[in-house]
Parts: sequence; structure tokens; C-alpha cells
Amino acid sequence: MHRFMSIRFIVAWVVAGMALLIAPVANAQSITFSVSPSSISFADADPDTTPSITAANLTVSYLLTKSGGANWRITVISGTNLTSGAASIPISNVTWTATPVPPFQAGTMSTTVGQTVASGVGDVKSTLTGTVVFHLANSWSYNVGTYSATFTFTMSCP
Amino acid sequence: MRRLLALIVALVLVPAAPLLRAASKTDTLTVSATVAARAKLTLSSASMTFADADPDTVPSMPANIGALTITAGARTTLGSTVSLVVLASSDLQSGLDTIAVSNMAWTATGAGFVAGTMNKTTAQAVGSWASSGLWSGTQSYAVANSWNYSTGTYTTTLTYTLTAP
Repeated sequence: MHRFMSIRFIVAWVVAGMALLIAPVANAQSITFSVSPSSISFADADPDTTPSITAANLTVSYLLTKSGGANWRITVISGTNLTSGAASIPISNVTWTATPVPPFQAGTMSTTVGQTVASGVGDVKSTLTGTVVFHLANSWSYNVGTYSATFTFTMSCP
Repeated sequence: MRRLLALIVALVLVPAAPLLRAASKTDTLTVSATVAARAKLTLSSASMTFADADPDTVPSMPANIGALTITAGARTTLGSTVSLVVLASSDLQSGLDTIAVSNMAWTATGAGFVAGTMNKTTAQAVGSWASSGLWSGTQSYAVANSWNYSTGTYTTTLTYTLTAP
């Protein structure tokens, strides 16, 4: 009898555990997320007359379902500074403005910590878009070259 | 039995934990920036005058403008040398009379700026810097005074050249 009870107890725990394992998968959030276009550029400009160079508008599209009311966040991080051979421009010289506010917010690029572009709570039941505009602080100290970097946008929940 | 139970619970719950309401999606953006070669040079004054003075009491005549402020900016390739030079078009001239332009000299302030003596054949260094940047400094000109100078109003033209390869 005691042995039978123990087995039942174990089976109950296993079933409960499996339920915990399976349940979140069944209710996992669905995220649809993209940024467009896939590339932007900062044109050369005179630092005296153009202290800040503006790139083309970036559209961020996002959809989130089955969030269960959890917080969500869109972040951006750069893999490197802007680099051109041995020359570089600190990525902190790149900032952005974004609309609508909220959920979007302005910020400064980083190579080490993902910076929040937008955040909210709960489902986004139809695809929404935001506009992000990047700006590069212009400077005489930049060396001649064609610089590049890759920004990674991530939408996550929670 | 309790150990077996604990093991089973651990095996079931630990893998389940990371799956609780965690989801993310990423997209990438390629960013480029073009920086082209350019240079700028500004002088705080387009002319200066050395007032007449007694050679005994004023052996060196300073320019009326005091210090000439120079702002130089250049974008060049990493490690290249940016140079600023000045060249006189002639000696100081007043009709047929001349004062050797080598009597004109300057002191300088500001990082990369150097003192020098004017020359009409070889451009003289005013400043030099490595790589791109924006620099500001001053030149304070003076002309050595002498009883030998003939009366007159003397002129010359100084040409500044900023080079960023």
C-alpha cells in the first residue's frame, strides 16, 4: 500500500511537471517584428554647417500576441563602433529620435548594452509601426573613410 | 524514494523554467557613414599694420591687431600630416624702398602652432598636426625696428596654405 501510494505520488509530480513544461509552449508569445529598410547611410557633410547628420527614416513594425499581459521591449545594440579600416567613430556619436512617444523613445547607441527603443505592456493585436531616425554627431576629427556598423534590433517579451 | 522524487521534480521543472513566457525576435540594420576629405582655414583679421615707432625705444614693432587667431580644420586619412604654412609675396615694399620680410617674425600659441620668421621664397611652417581635427591658435607678429628704414608706407601680402593629403 505504501509502495503504491509512493508511485502515485511520483506520477502526480511528473504529470504536474510535464504540464508546466508543455503549458508555456502552448501559450508562447507570438512576435512579428521587422525594421525597414535594412540599411541606412550618413552622407558626408561639413561639420560647421551640418553639426548633426540625419539618416533616412527607419520603420519598425511589430505585432505581439499571447503575451499574457507581460512587458515587452524593443532594443537596439551595435556590434562595433563605426569602423573604416583602422579608423573608427565612437558609436555613442549616433543617437536616435523616435515616434510615437510612447511607446517609442529617443536614445544613444551602445556597443555593450542594448538600448531601449520602445516598450509596453500586453498584446499588440494588430501590426503597429514606429519611426526611428538616426543622427550622427558631425566632427572635424573624423578621418576620411567609408564607415560601417551593424545594428541589431530585438523585440522581446518579457 | 525521496531522492528519486527530488530528481524527477528537478528534471521536469528545471527545463520548463526557461520556457516560461520568453520570446524574442531580431532584425538587423546595416549602417554606413561617408567621411570625405575637406579643409577650412579662417584668420581673425585680413590685414594688420605695424605702427611707426622710435627704434631706440621700440626695437620690435608689434602688429596693431595684437594676436592673429587662426582656426584650421581638416579631414584627412588616419595618420596623415596636416600642415599650415605662410609665404610672403615679397619684401615689405614702399615704391622702390624695401624692408626685408625676414625682419617680420611671429610667436605662436596653441597646440601644433610654431613660431617662425617670414620668408618670401620658401613657405614657413605655422603649424602641423596628425590626422583629422580642428585646431585654433594665435600668431603675434612683430617687425624688427631699425634706423635704416626709409620713410614710407610698406606693404606685402601673406598667403596661408593648409594642406591635408
